[in-house]
Amino acid sequence: MFGEPLAGKYLAWLFEGFGVTLALSALTCVVATALGFALCLGRIARPIWVAWPLRAWLSVFRNTPLLVQLFFWYFGATFFFPDALREWLNAPHAWRLGVFGIDWPPFEYVAGFVGLTLYTAAFVAEEFRAGVLAVPPGQTVTARALGMTRLQAWRHVLMPQAVRIALPPLLGQYMNAVKNSSMTMAIGLAELSYASRQVETETFKTFQAFGIATLLYVAVVVAIEFAGEWLRRRDARARGGR
Amino acid sequence: MKKTYLASLLILAVASGAAQADRLDDIKKAGVLRVAAFDSNPPFGFVDAKTKRIVGLDVDYAQELAKKLNVKLELVPTNPANRIPLLTANKVDVVLANFTITEERAKQVNFSIPYFASGQQFLAKKGTLSSPDQLGKLRIGVDKGTTNEIVLREKYPSATLVAYDDTPFAFTALRNGNVQAITQDGPKLVGLLANVPDKEKYEIPPFSISDDLIGAGIPKGEARLTAFVSETLVELEANGRAQQIYDAWFGPNSKTPLKRIFRIGDGKK
Repeated sequence: MFGEPLAGKYLAWLFEGFGVTLALSALTCVVATALGFALCLGRIARPIWVAWPLRAWLSVFRNTPLLVQLFFWYFGATFFFPDALREWLNAPHAWRLGVFGIDWPPFEYVAGFVGLTLYTAAFVAEEFRAGVLAVPPGQTVTARALGMTRLQAWRHVLMPQAVRIALPPLLGQYMNAVKNSSMTMAIGLAELSYASRQVETETFKTFQAFGIATLLYVAVVVAIEFAGEWLRRRDARARGGR
Repeated sequence: MKKTYLASLLILAVASGAAQADRLDDIKKAGVLRVAAFDSNPPFGFVDAKTKRIVGLDVDYAQELAKKLNVKLELVPTNPANRIPLLTANKVDVVLANFTITEERAKQVNFSIPYFASGQQFLAKKGTLSSPDQLGKLRIGVDKGTTNEIVLREKYPSATLVAYDDTPFAFTALRNGNVQAITQDGPKLVGLLANVPDKEKYEIPPFSISDDLIGAGIPKGEARLTAFVSETLVELEANGRAQQIYDAWFGPNSKTPLKRIFRIGDGKK
């Protein structure tokens, strides 16, 4: 019913693409979380000259299609770069530090990572902010009344509650990051969707190529779901044990 | 008793005939011929700036087919990768989108006789590419889902390929320096270059790495429709219309002059 299986070479392409998808989404999630947290702090800061520009920034990144943003970083942004920088970005080079070395990735990877991370960070920032706002104001006030400094109240009272509230939607954003990474195929990044398209082109085994890609995406999303469930249980146990 | 038996046999035969629908009859009955064509690949199929309609060499052939069938023509814009899915999903009757005939594709769709031939060539910044030997060391932009991608990977496995959705995207990548060359069929590159504002910076090195025959794609097994398209193409060559169509897009007075070396019926198997 499903036709012949794919030849080994094509499976290898799919798994190579899957590796790129995993690496790209993992890196995106880590950096976007850090950046999103910083953006959230700025967004809820008192001075309006910090909060307002950030508000505009977040709204630009949240309210424009990711595909357009990726095209901007890949095709558009380089237009403003001086020729020398553009050549450097595109040229292969490597950093060496003893036995360790990092090869500069092709520009598709750089643009894809930047685009996906900035997009994801904007959503992460708003999830954090929603978490912070959801903690009743009385909590901070009480902590301060008990003699905690402002920082201590943040660190020990507000943040643990805010993160607990923000965690489920945050995991949703990580799942989105995995799925959104497929958009980078439009700028030539050879991730899973790109690989499945390529396999389809060469073998015409449409069902197998896209079917395997679908299963792999589902597997990652399910893994994130399980990780979230595990975190939630651990947290509940820790609180119950107190 | 015998009569009812015969009658039911007859009904069965008619019913099975209907189930084994013939696309050519369907088209005539519907009064519409659905043709997939490119919308951003001059001069084969592209949106005319003034009329906002899809025009081009492929579209002219589509119009001739519709004219001969005496039905309306409905154009469906496509990109290279969607050509086979459109046919297999029964969304169009014929694909006229610079569709290179290959054995692999022929397993999925029927092809008419070729109506055009072209070779796979390259477009690069002047002075970067002069012989095929250099290809293995370059980053080359290709269109997703085209034979160009497959041929290049097979012949020059050490080249780095970056696949884009469309030729204009690949060209922008070339312009930005993301890739050092892009590959496509020669006539398409000529057409692309004609519309580039800084065309003096680019060149199409005079070598090709393949010779491709372009045919009309038709759903698998539609023998009558395939025969109809092929016969029409032969007729168009005989009455001179094929030459007219060619001259309109590649003639000496066109934007993209290219000598006509292939005639319909050449290289028949």
